[in-house]
Amino acid sequence: MRTLADELFKEFKEHSVSEFFRKNAAMLGYTGKVRSLTTVVHEAVTNSLDACEEAGILPDIKVEIRRVGEDPEHLRVAVEDNGPGIPERFIPRVFGKMLAGTKLHRLLQQRGQQGIGISGAVMFAQITSGKPALIRTSTGDGKVVEMEVSINLDRNEGEVHSRRVWEGKGRGTRIELELKEVVYQRSRYSPFHYLRMTSVANPHARITLEEPDGTRVVFERVVREVPKPPQPMPLYPKGLMADDLLALCRTSTHRTLGATLMELSRMTKRKVEEAERLSGVRMDKRPQELTWEEAERLVGAFRQMKFMAPSSSGLRPIGKEHIEKSLKQMYEPEFVAAVTREPKFYRGGIPFVVELGMAYGGRAGRREEEGTGMELLRFANRAPLIFDQGGCVITSALRDVDWGRYGLDPETSPFTVFVNLCSAYVPYTSAGKQSIADEPEIYEELRFAAMDVARELRLYLYRKTRQKEREERAGIFERFLPIIARKASSLAGEEPPDIRPVLRKVTGLEDGEG
Amino acid sequence: MERGKERKERILEELRKLGRGVLQELREGRPPRLRIPSRGTSNIVYDEEHGYYVLGPRYEVRSASSMAQVKKFAQTLCVADFCRELVKAGKFATLREMYYTAEGWETGPFRDQDESDLLVEDLEAMLGVKREDLALMPEEDGAAVFGELVLREGEVTIDATKAGRGGYTIPPTIDEVEFVRCRAKRVIAVETMGMYHRLLQEEAWKKFDALIVGLKGQAARATRRFLKRANEELGLPVYLFCDGDPFGFHIAMVIISGSAKLAYINHELAVPRARFIGVTATDIVEYDLPTDKLRELDIARLKQLQRDPRYHTEFWQGEIRRMLELGRKAEQQAFAKYGLEYVVEEYLPAKLREAERGIS
Repeated sequence: MRTLADELFKEFKEHSVSEFFRKNAAMLGYTGKVRSLTTVVHEAVTNSLDACEEAGILPDIKVEIRRVGEDPEHLRVAVEDNGPGIPERFIPRVFGKMLAGTKLHRLLQQRGQQGIGISGAVMFAQITSGKPALIRTSTGDGKVVEMEVSINLDRNEGEVHSRRVWEGKGRGTRIELELKEVVYQRSRYSPFHYLRMTSVANPHARITLEEPDGTRVVFERVVREVPKPPQPMPLYPKGLMADDLLALCRTSTHRTLGATLMELSRMTKRKVEEAERLSGVRMDKRPQELTWEEAERLVGAFRQMKFMAPSSSGLRPIGKEHIEKSLKQMYEPEFVAAVTREPKFYRGGIPFVVELGMAYGGRAGRREEEGTGMELLRFANRAPLIFDQGGCVITSALRDVDWGRYGLDPETSPFTVFVNLCSAYVPYTSAGKQSIADEPEIYEELRFAAMDVARELRLYLYRKTRQKEREERAGIFERFLPIIARKASSLAGEEPPDIRPVLRKVTGLEDGEG
Repeated sequence: MERGKERKERILEELRKLGRGVLQELREGRPPRLRIPSRGTSNIVYDEEHGYYVLGPRYEVRSASSMAQVKKFAQTLCVADFCRELVKAGKFATLREMYYTAEGWETGPFRDQDESDLLVEDLEAMLGVKREDLALMPEEDGAAVFGELVLREGEVTIDATKAGRGGYTIPPTIDEVEFVRCRAKRVIAVETMGMYHRLLQEEAWKKFDALIVGLKGQAARATRRFLKRANEELGLPVYLFCDGDPFGFHIAMVIISGSAKLAYINHELAVPRARFIGVTATDIVEYDLPTDKLRELDIARLKQLQRDPRYHTEFWQGEIRRMLELGRKAEQQAFAKYGLEYVVEEYLPAKLREAERGIS
């Protein structure tokens, strides 16, 4: 007998990942005509920057956006880099298969992490214009490969439509995508703004943008130092969950639990012994035999123990100096300061570093018709976050800073706050990767970083006010005291006296400063 | 009364002293300070002995070491030096002219004329001399005078009986005018020009051996200076004949005792020996004058006068009380009820007899 359930499940079938995302493009950031275009640029530029970084190359990235025909919402986007190039056999997988890539299974700080970015862009092009992506790449071996690739949505596989190979010099990768239902404009959510922000967070990159009207914008390189490539990092014991420990043990190739735990960051033989003493869990048992209850006791033991600060060897912060240089170049501000905080960890011992820079005056701050105010630039692993600002922990943490204490008013003061969160695993709120989840440890670090830098700014503003007052004061006396002296001598019919001693006294230059 | 030349030298010396004081402090390396008698209401006191308002002992200090005051300090000296140049050259300027001249000063223009006028008052109070002595003259002419007085303005000699039907107009620079000869024995100053011309037509100046002065309402500074000089320099008694209402009373009182606002210079303006002869409340009853009802404003003003220390005499308190009881007031021209000549034929002779009984 056929049950109702049988009937209902007749249509049940397994969806491919790409089929799923085709139906949920919004999750990937493909929502709205401006944002979709920016997302495509973002995915391609991110890939280029990561590739250059891993290869130790100073990135030179060109972004071209051109109109196709008369339809203003029909554009062709090309992103070209001078990176290491892609070996031919990987091309269909890199661009045509989702959740494929070199990053997901490693605890490693990179801009992309889930392996859906660039293939998502290819998919977006495909479903709006029906055209495959054009890839041209060379690894510098004297051979250039050009392919047209699309995604087979049913099978989540790359499909090659054409292939050309020729002899050629140079190295790098160029991807061209044809898009419909997108709009180019220079708003806050535009590729222009996105690339400008990218340039701030990547002072080692040179980025060129060609806009549809032919305007060419160059965001110049400020430092000539390629960031060291990030390295995989082991988990940090403090803050681990029982579940994380069990997962580690299940896949362990070690013979004993003790040896398995040594894989954790900052773990030593003595610490393993201490954990055994505190938890009562025997370290010579096979890791696969660890029970949930034992795992919980171990977690409890780790919480009581002291460990060295988490390793940040895999994290690649931009660095205080580079942030400051970059902000200076971008805003020509009166004041700039930045901080790169010490590594901290959240949730299951995932290390992160908060970097925060502030620029005051010059071109800094929100520039709108209603006037100036605070501008917030959010980054995760150097990649700009420009959408979903409201739901992001960076926004809420900075909103909760009492700016008034630092002589600043977010509504009127001309300042820009630059925030970069570095982590091997950034807790995004969605696959669109535009906002970061509210983890308490991250929230706290953001506030501390803001306060660190704001304190310096307050000092600057205080000195500036003092200086201005002193100059004003001096100016007034320098103007009027000579008049007083001249008029008095005219009244008395005597020679004017030397007024410098009095002038020094009243301008306050005698007592100390200046 | 000092001669023009002496006065000029005295003023220049005051200005020199001001300059020397400032220079002295500068030379000693101290930020100079000016001591300016405070003109705030709390520093205005009634001087019983002289019968007018004077400034109390309080001073304001204007310091060149204060950011808020150094500009004003410089401006004060600019005004002083501007006055020095005028006095030296024997020229006069109005307050308004000075205000415009300041456009070219190193201290820059004033915000408005009030600002520059206040500095002139500062200087008057600081030096104890009036603005006319600093060669700054009021805008308006004084009143008119008719009678046997010969005056000299520079090279010109004027007989106040031959200066036209309206008489001699008292100029703002009255202090520069020399009294050459005077046959009159008294001064009769009247509030309205209507009454002034009535007295001239009836030849009251001859009849009473008087200088007749038309005040034109509240007396100008020049008029008050003229009355003071006539009283002190020529030794003539001054009689004041005003409307029989609180405003008439006060026109007389300001001449006698000076105003609170000008307390810093009342010693140069008040004529404490001048006498109010009418119209009194008693006159209204005795002469059965046509009257108007007191308005609310009049009553309020009378009550104000009652409390004013200048009116704290038996005579004034009695007159004010009587007017309040009557609830009526009368103009000086009300005597026309009995014919145009009545005021000269009957009223004034009676009043003058009464007034001079005590003196002669």
